[in-house]
Amino acid sequence: MLFIENVKLAFSAIGINKMRSFLTMLGIIIGISAVIAIVSIGDTMRGVIADQFAGIGVGRIYTYIQASDGVADENSLFSKNDIDNIRTVFSKDIEYISGAGSQSGTAIKGRNSVSINLTPVQGNYTRVQPVKISGGRMINQKDFESSKNNIVLDENTAEKLFKSKNVSGKTIRLSYNGKNGAEITDFTVVGTFENNKSVLEKLLAGKGPETAYIPESLVFTPDSSAFSLDIFISKNADSKQFKKSFINYISRTKNQTAKNIVYESAESEMKSADSIMQKLSLAVGAIAAISLLVGGIGIMNIMLVSVTERTREIGIRKALGARTADILIQFLTEAALISAAGGIIGTAIGIGVVAIGGRILNIKVIINPVMVITAVCFSAAVGIFFGLFPARKAAMKDPIEALRYE
Amino acid sequence: MAMREIIRLENIEKKYSTGSTEVKALSDVSFTVNEGEYIAIMGQSGSGKSTLMNILGCLDRPTGGKYMLDGEDVSSYRDDRLSWLRNKKIGFVFQSFNLISRTSALKNVELPMIYAKVPASARRKKALELLDKVGLSQRSSHMPNELSGGQRQRVAIARALANDPPLILADEPTGNLDTASSVEIMELFTKLNEDGATVIVVTHEDDIAAFTKRVLRFRDGRLINDTGECEK
Repeated sequence: MLFIENVKLAFSAIGINKMRSFLTMLGIIIGISAVIAIVSIGDTMRGVIADQFAGIGVGRIYTYIQASDGVADENSLFSKNDIDNIRTVFSKDIEYISGAGSQSGTAIKGRNSVSINLTPVQGNYTRVQPVKISGGRMINQKDFESSKNNIVLDENTAEKLFKSKNVSGKTIRLSYNGKNGAEITDFTVVGTFENNKSVLEKLLAGKGPETAYIPESLVFTPDSSAFSLDIFISKNADSKQFKKSFINYISRTKNQTAKNIVYESAESEMKSADSIMQKLSLAVGAIAAISLLVGGIGIMNIMLVSVTERTREIGIRKALGARTADILIQFLTEAALISAAGGIIGTAIGIGVVAIGGRILNIKVIINPVMVITAVCFSAAVGIFFGLFPARKAAMKDPIEALRYE
Repeated sequence: MAMREIIRLENIEKKYSTGSTEVKALSDVSFTVNEGEYIAIMGQSGSGKSTLMNILGCLDRPTGGKYMLDGEDVSSYRDDRLSWLRNKKIGFVFQSFNLISRTSALKNVELPMIYAKVPASARRKKALELLDKVGLSQRSSHMPNELSGGQRQRVAIARALANDPPLILADEPTGNLDTASSVEIMELFTKLNEDGATVIVVTHEDDIAAFTKRVLRFRDGRLINDTGECEK
């Protein structure tokens, strides 16, 4: 019997018992939609994490020397001179290097004050780190060279201080640790930047004070020494090779053993976060897949009932010339079709739920087409697997007995 | 003129063993049927006529003897080969019609042709012709439960003719019908026979057997009387 005939036959059999067919599909629908939703949520989270790190810069490295005796000395701190040397030696790989770490400060305007995270930057900071300027400008090379008291605030902080986002040119007072220690100084706001994170990003990043940018020369001078280094390597740099030669260089010039040099790269952090996320979504997806098993058993159950109900039909078909294989394939097709249809509906629901959720939370949703195809094929396979026993039972019926069945 | 032999039974025997006891449903049955014959198989219930019907219809295998159907010894054929034979060589008509429910008359008539792998368009054309032949061309899209008993049996007869089998095998075809419909159905068989079909009707009613040209009478699993014996 032709395949197309079987499909037509299966469709009409499913159509005759619409309610029952739908209830049978339900298990598969729930299973597949759960798997699709969970895996898509996992993929989306991974995408968000990747974006997060892209925001930090995948090529970003944080390094410092752990003094073996616990006392920081000139061999464990980096002088301005050290930093210049590193920049020269690795000029091919290093895009940006700074020894001035972020610090917390307070922005004050009248009676309003806001805690902020001050990031001292050089003039070319935006080459390694995108900053979405919404008004005015970013700290530039001139600010850096002339050590001007200029600051770039994020819109939210501007709003809190001035009740307005348009604050370029206005003055605030800033409490921070300058090159000569703690001070409170007037700063001119030269620009504001946009900082709209999605709900999920905020959740992942945590709720800390907002960032503000000031010229690095205000806090880091030729006399300063840095505890740690913030390095951005260029996109073309070989990160592994760089790490090796960098550690080698530092241990040589600072007279340190390699194990004292702490080297954290955003790339490896991202990889480990990504692999945790991937394993987690796989594990939860596998648990959801158990519901597919339950759905499959539901199909088997209904198919067994259906085979019994249709004993006489099976007898008639056999009397009219259906071979064992014809009956087997007929019932298998029906089971596969029910579960594949359930799989398709489940996929649509799963994708729908994730897409709507993504829209509500303002996240770019990632749906893997390979997973979708796999899910539908897998659900059909579940149908065939669990349909096999009932179909075999149907096919093996003795035509004489089957014809007599009332 | 040499008649083609459709059926030759030689010492057919059928035993059923239920536990330790053995029941002989048929013993030593031999007869031949030529092309174009119109035969009634008669007997009381328990006479073995149903068993014989199953063997003639290739639904069952004899435990002894030899069954030649249209020149082939089918006594020891395997299941799938028997399916093929039923499809090509035999047109079944059952007492309870045995149409597939919730499936149109047309689709029911097409069924044997589906298993014979006849292309869809040819199948449809043939099925419509056959429904016309049994006088139901207006009813092709009706479901079996929308048809009267007589009409259902005519659909079943159309279905039996689908693959132009050399043998029509009818098991109590009028058993579930009123007298008027019974006569109609038997007249249809008579007409088919006049057109050249070989028809075997299993029945226990004399007035049904009266339509046929030869009667084989069974009792206790044995052929006790064959009105056509003289023709051999």
